[in-house]
Amino acid sequence: MRRLRTVTLGLALLAPALLPAFVGVGNGAAVACAAEAAGEAHAALVVDTGSQTTTYCVALGAGTVSGLRLIQLASAQYGLSYHLGFGGQAVCQLQGVGPSGGDCFGDYPDYWGYWHGADGGWSWAGSGAASASVSDGDVEGWSWGPGDTGSTHPSPPDLGFDDVCDTPKPSASPPARPSPSAVPSPGAGSTAQSGSQASPDAAGPTPAGGVTSRSPVPKQPKQSPAADRTPTDPPSTGAIVRAVATSGGATPSGGPPMGAFAAAAAVAVLTAGGARTLRKRRKGESA
Amino acid sequence: MTLHPAAWMAWATCAGVVAFTTTDPFYLGVLVAIAWFVYATCRVPGPTARSFRVFAIGGLMAMAIRTALVFLGTVDASNVAFAALEGARLATLLIVFGTFNAVTDPFGVVRLAPRRFHEPALAAALALSIAPRTIATAGRVREAQQLRGIRTARWRGLPSLAVPVLESGMEEAVTLAESMDARGHGRGRRTRYRPAHWTPAGVAVVVAASAAAGVFLAAAWVGLGGLHPSTSPLTWPEATPWLIGVLLLLALPGIFGAFRDPVA
Repeated sequence: MRRLRTVTLGLALLAPALLPAFVGVGNGAAVACAAEAAGEAHAALVVDTGSQTTTYCVALGAGTVSGLRLIQLASAQYGLSYHLGFGGQAVCQLQGVGPSGGDCFGDYPDYWGYWHGADGGWSWAGSGAASASVSDGDVEGWSWGPGDTGSTHPSPPDLGFDDVCDTPKPSASPPARPSPSAVPSPGAGSTAQSGSQASPDAAGPTPAGGVTSRSPVPKQPKQSPAADRTPTDPPSTGAIVRAVATSGGATPSGGPPMGAFAAAAAVAVLTAGGARTLRKRRKGESA
Repeated sequence: MTLHPAAWMAWATCAGVVAFTTTDPFYLGVLVAIAWFVYATCRVPGPTARSFRVFAIGGLMAMAIRTALVFLGTVDASNVAFAALEGARLATLLIVFGTFNAVTDPFGVVRLAPRRFHEPALAAALALSIAPRTIATAGRVREAQQLRGIRTARWRGLPSLAVPVLESGMEEAVTLAESMDARGHGRGRRTRYRPAHWTPAGVAVVVAASAAAGVFLAAAWVGLGGLHPSTSPLTWPEATPWLIGVLLLLALPGIFGAFRDPVA
C-alpha cells in the first residue's frame, strides 16, 4: 500500500515536469506539419451543389489525410461550411445544401455523392470518406443529387488537379521579377519559353528564377461537359467558382495544441489533488 | 456528507456515456484522472474500496488483450493505434465502474430497487453488486487462509481462494434475496430503515454529470470536437479545450468529497 502511495505521489509530482515534454511533442508535430505545408502538398476538392460548382485547392497538413479531414481543412482555409452526420462519419451538408440533422439520407433520394478524380474524370467512391486517404495531387469530388451508383448519380464537372491548383502559391513562389537580369535555372529555362502555360511543376517548392510563376492568366476550367460522361448525367449548368482563401492560408493544426495542454493540466491537477486528499486521510486514519 | 446512491449511479452512467462517445486519448486520460480523483476523495473505507485497483488492473488487461488481438491479422500502425484506442475506451469504462463500486455501498444500490418490479430489480441489484461483493469476499478469504498458513498468492493455491469465494457468493445472494423478501419487497408495502436523503450536493452532481454526458452525446451526433482521432491515416490526436472543461464537470463529486470532514 505504501508503495502504491509513493508511486501515485511520484506521478503527481512528475506530471507537471512531464508537461513541457508533452507540449514539446505537440509542437514538434506542428512544426513538422508546417514544414510539409511549405513543401506544398495540395489536393483538389470539387463541390458541386447542382447549381454551382466550387473548387478548393487545399493545403494538406500531413502528407496524407482522410477524405473527411480534407473537408475540414477546406473549411479552415476557405470557409467551406459543412456538417457531418452518422456519428461524424458521413457528410450530410456542404455549403448549406443537404440535411442538417444527423441522418445524412434525410433528403433522400438526394444526397452527397463521393467521387475520386481519375485522369480528369471521376470514379465513384467505393468506401466512405472517413477511410479514404488523400495525398498530394489527388482530386476529390462531392456532388449533390439522386442516384445510388456511379452511373446514375450526377458527377461533378470534369476538372483535373491542374484546373483547380494551377495558380502558384503565394507562400512558395516570390513575386515574378520582370527584370531581364533574372537568370532562370537551366531546368526552368525550357518551360519559361512556353510563356503563360502553367507547368505542372509550377507549384513546386523551388523558387528558382521565378519565371515559371509568371503565369498571370489562370487556365480556365473546362466548361463543356466531357465526352466520357454517361448519358444519364444531366449536364451541370452551374458556374464553376474558385474558392478564395479566407484566413490567409491558415496552416492546418497550427498554433499551440491548446486541447492537449488543457488535458495535461487537468490530469496533473486531478492526480495531485487526489493523492493529497488520500495522503491526508491516511494520516488521519493512522493517527 | 454522503451522496445518494442514485446520484452515484447517475454519475457513473454519465461518465460511462462520455467514455463511450470518444476514443480520443486526451479525453479518456482526463476521464481516468477524474475517476481516480473521485475515488481518492470519496471512497468508502472498507473491503469494497479495493474495487478501484482491481478494475484498473482489469481495464489495463482488457486494453492489452484488445491490442494484442490485432496481431492475429494484418499489422500496421493504423490498426494497432485503432485497437489501442478502442481498448483505452474499454479500460476507461471499467475504471469508471470500479470507482462507482469503491465510492458507494453496494447494498445501498440494492435498497434502491423499486418495489413494483421486484424480480428484475432484485436481479439487477445482485448483478450490480456482485463485483464489489466478490472483491470484498476475496479479501476476507485470503486473510483467513493466510491466518491458517495457506498461501493463496500462487497458482496452486488458487482453489483454496476460489472455492470459498464462490461458495460465500452463492450464500450471500440467497441471504440477500431472503432479506429483501423479509423487508417486504414485492409485497407492495415495506418500511425503510434510515432511507438515503437527497442533498443539494447530490442534485448538483446529477445535473453536472448529465450536462457533461449531454454535451458529449451532442458533439458525437454532429461530429464536433474530434472525438475520434483519425487512425487511417494516423494523425496526432487533438482535443478541444472547452470539451475538456465540460469533462471536468464530472469531477464535481470529488470536489465535494475533498472538502468534507475527514473524520465523518
